[in-house]
Amino acid sequence: MKNYFEVIIDTDPFNPEELSGLLWELNPLGIVENDDALVISFDADESIDQTVKDFLQELVEKKVINSFSYSINEIEEKNWNEEWEKNLKVIKVTDKIVIKPSFREYSPSEGEIVITIDPKMSFGTGEHQTTKLMLSMCEKHIEKKTKVLDVGTGTGVLAIASVMLGADYALGIDNDEWCYENALENIDQNHVYGKVEFRLAEVGNISEHDFDCLLANIQKDVLLIIAKDIVSKVKAGGKVILSGLLYTDEADICDCYTQLGLSLSDKMQLDEWIALVFKK
Amino acid sequence: MAKKITGYIKLQIPAGKANPSPPVGPALGQKGVNIMEFCKQFNAKTSGQEGLIIPVVITVFSDKSFTFITKTPPAAVLLKKAAKIEKGSAESNKIKVGKVSKTQVEEIAKLKMPDLNANDVEHAMSMVAGTARSMGITVDE
Repeated sequence: MKNYFEVIIDTDPFNPEELSGLLWELNPLGIVENDDALVISFDADESIDQTVKDFLQELVEKKVINSFSYSINEIEEKNWNEEWEKNLKVIKVTDKIVIKPSFREYSPSEGEIVITIDPKMSFGTGEHQTTKLMLSMCEKHIEKKTKVLDVGTGTGVLAIASVMLGADYALGIDNDEWCYENALENIDQNHVYGKVEFRLAEVGNISEHDFDCLLANIQKDVLLIIAKDIVSKVKAGGKVILSGLLYTDEADICDCYTQLGLSLSDKMQLDEWIALVFKK
Repeated sequence: MAKKITGYIKLQIPAGKANPSPPVGPALGQKGVNIMEFCKQFNAKTSGQEGLIIPVVITVFSDKSFTFITKTPPAAVLLKKAAKIEKGSAESNKIKVGKVSKTQVEEIAKLKMPDLNANDVEHAMSMVAGTARSMGITVDE
C-alpha cells in the first residue's frame, strides 16, 4: 500500500486564499481548507519536513505571514469508501440488470441478471447515472458470442455485465492498481472465470484489434486523448459506447470520433449525463 | 422537506484530476460520502480546465448525498499562468521571475471578486498585486 504525508499548517495571520495559492508551489496532491488550518497532502517524501519549513520561513521573511506552526502525519492508503459502502443497497438498474453488494441478499425474478459488486474505491456501482446509461446501452447493443473491451473498467461491472448479457469474452483494463485488484475480486463474486479478464494496462498497450464492442465510461478530456487508440481496437462494423460525458460534451466528442471514421448510431441521456454509441 | 446539512468540505484539487488518494479520499470518506461519485462529477465538470487548481466546496447532507460548487483558482495560480512561469521566486525581494500587466491584474481581480474579501475591484487589485510581489512577479504600470 502507498503512503502519503499530510501537513497541517497554521499561520498568523491565517489567510487561506493567499496561503493555499502560494503552497501550490510545493506541488501537493491537494489542499483541504479547515476553519483554522490548511491540510496539504503529498506523496510520501522524507524531505517534505524541511521543504515545508523552508517555504514557510520564506513567507515570514517576505512578510506574507508573521509566524507559523505545522505538524506532519504519515497516512497509509486504505479503503476510504468503507463508511459509504456500508449503506450500499440493491440497485435495479434496468428491467433486466440488478446490482447488489455481497452483504445484501436478492432473489431475482425470471430473466433478471444479478451482478455482485463490492466497489471499495473503484467506480461502477450502478448508482451513478453514467453506469446506468452504459448498462442500458450494453443491454441494447451487446450481441451474443462477441468480444468486448471495457476501458477504465473500475469495479469491472461493465465487463462482467457484458458476458452475463451474452458476450463470449470481455477484457477490462484500468491504469489504477486499486481498480485492477478490485475488479479481480469482483470476478470471484460473479463466477465469470475464463470469460472475463482484467489487466492493469492503458488502452494503447492492448495488442488485440478485433473487439466487436468497446465500452469506455471515463471523462471527456481522456476520451479525446485516447480516441485513436479506442477506434483502433474495434473491428470494422464494431461499436464504441462512450459515457462519463455531460450533454455539453456531445459536440466535441462527436467531432473527434466522426473524424476518425465512426458514425453516431445511438444516444441516451439521464439528467445531465449522456452515453453515445458509434459504429465503425 | 429540505435535507439536513451535516457539514461542508473545502478542497483544492487540480481540474480533471480528482481521485481517491488524499486529500479527496480521507476528507470525503470520513463523512461517508461516495468518493468515486464526487471524482466522476468533479472531473467531468472541470474537464477542459487542465492545469488550473480548482477550489471546491462540498455540501454533505444527512443521507450522505452531496452537492458541490467550484470556485475561481487561487490568485497565485492565475498569476503564474498570466506570467507564463512554472514557479514563483524563492527570494522575491531580490530575484524577479516574471511580469504581468496592470490589465492582467485587473482581469484576475475581477475574476476573483466573488471569492475575495474585497470591497471593490481596486481593493481586489491591490490584494492580487500583493500576492504577485510575494511571488517575485513584477506588475507593469
